[in-house]
Amino acid sequence: MTTPGVPVDGLDPLLAAVDGRRMAATVATLAGVPFAGRRVGTPGGAAARAWLGQQLADLDATVDFAAFPVTAVPEVYATPTVAWHDGVSVRHLEFGHDVAVHLESAEQALLLRGDLAVAGHGAPQGRWLLVPAGMSLFDAYGHAERAAGLLIGRGVDADGWQYTVLAGPNTGPLPVLTLDTATHAALQQAAESGRGWLAGNAPIRRLDVRAANVHGRWHASTGDGVELLLTAHYDGVGDHPGLRQPAAADNGSGVAVVLEAARILASALPTGVGLSVALLDGEETGALGSAQHAAHLRRDGAAPLVINVDGAGLLRQAAAVEAGGPAHALLAALDQAGRHTGLPLVAGPVASDNRRYAAAGLAAVGIGAGMAGYHSPADTPDRVDTATMTALARLVVATGWLAARTPATVSSSIGDRR
Amino acid sequence: MSDTQTPGGFIGDPTAALAVAGTSGCCGNPPQATLTLSEPTEVAGPCCGTATDAAAEGSCCGSTAKADAVASGQGCCG
Repeated sequence: MTTPGVPVDGLDPLLAAVDGRRMAATVATLAGVPFAGRRVGTPGGAAARAWLGQQLADLDATVDFAAFPVTAVPEVYATPTVAWHDGVSVRHLEFGHDVAVHLESAEQALLLRGDLAVAGHGAPQGRWLLVPAGMSLFDAYGHAERAAGLLIGRGVDADGWQYTVLAGPNTGPLPVLTLDTATHAALQQAAESGRGWLAGNAPIRRLDVRAANVHGRWHASTGDGVELLLTAHYDGVGDHPGLRQPAAADNGSGVAVVLEAARILASALPTGVGLSVALLDGEETGALGSAQHAAHLRRDGAAPLVINVDGAGLLRQAAAVEAGGPAHALLAALDQAGRHTGLPLVAGPVASDNRRYAAAGLAAVGIGAGMAGYHSPADTPDRVDTATMTALARLVVATGWLAARTPATVSSSIGDRR
Repeated sequence: MSDTQTPGGFIGDPTAALAVAGTSGCCGNPPQATLTLSEPTEVAGPCCGTATDAAAEGSCCGSTAKADAVASGQGCCG
């Protein structure tokens, strides 16, 4: 399909200015030790925020920070110590691979030793209960009165990690550990044979913290000029004790793309077109930063075109695009930008901050490429493909440039309703 | 100068991005998720998968759905 579009004279020099090395350097910095995985409310997150504010200032943006509270952020504050006895010998489990603390786990700081049993079979008191496949955690609680804790099987990713999540259920009544499925099967076998014990702890707590979005503005729109808002979340799931989780692709790569696109667009947009950037906090705890920002925009009557980038780590066949709100004109610009830059796009879920803006009634698109090492120690800078970031930055530059020019013309190709 | 056809751009109708549905992505049906996103309570809440998936996997996401979504280049949350 070739849809009509706006003339593109003057666009190619901007695309040629996209600098992959600059983006790679940004990812390397954001993934570095000082930022400690950038979990919301941590010193590493604050350090990343300060650094990003300086990056925006260096690009001649007016910078401000918008703080908001986040409660009950889970934190594994010590490396869990877990060992079990199979009736013959003691086996120690490796945190992150073999065992992890379930998000719903109650805190158990000290080692707790108990015999193994299967939930629903026999007396639970003082025992670690294997939760059989197919039994929900909710049902397991019904069989676990005064149990030491629950043991749930969980798959691992391609690198053998139990990836980390921050958004999930609230704390339950018992310690809960997740075991990789092979380990879980071995423990269940031991439990069914009536031998074996486990000694372990669950050093997890919930923290109430302060978060902050980083905003950069170059120009405000005037008259009928379009307002462009580029967004990416900078927070990550954070390091665990002794286990770095750099969050390079998710979402250091998206931040790098947005900064690079803004650097180029800031001096290239027509008079009257607005440009701002929001680098968002608290995405990993439920897209809370964008929820705050979207609410403010709605309250102020602002209606920017929102382009959110989440995951620019590794492009395979096409970048996924999810749109919401009155986004027909924006999609048309995105389509033309994809054709001009040679980047294939496909409609697909991008469950990220774009949804908050769309839910607020704004035209919003989320763009995501693939990534390696999702929410795990394997999300490292060396696995972020510079060519992917370059392709997405070119796409964002072209989309912004096209959308800024003649939105009425753009809209005609696919039925804009704005 | 105007654009000529290239291998890039949307594969299919661009407006399909407004109605992403029926995928195996980790975060459920995106349009429904968009419509049912709760107002921020400042408390972390589940955002991925169905309650059944989450319970079965002992996580907030079904691991199979998550792996599918990541492998296919689709974004994921939380």
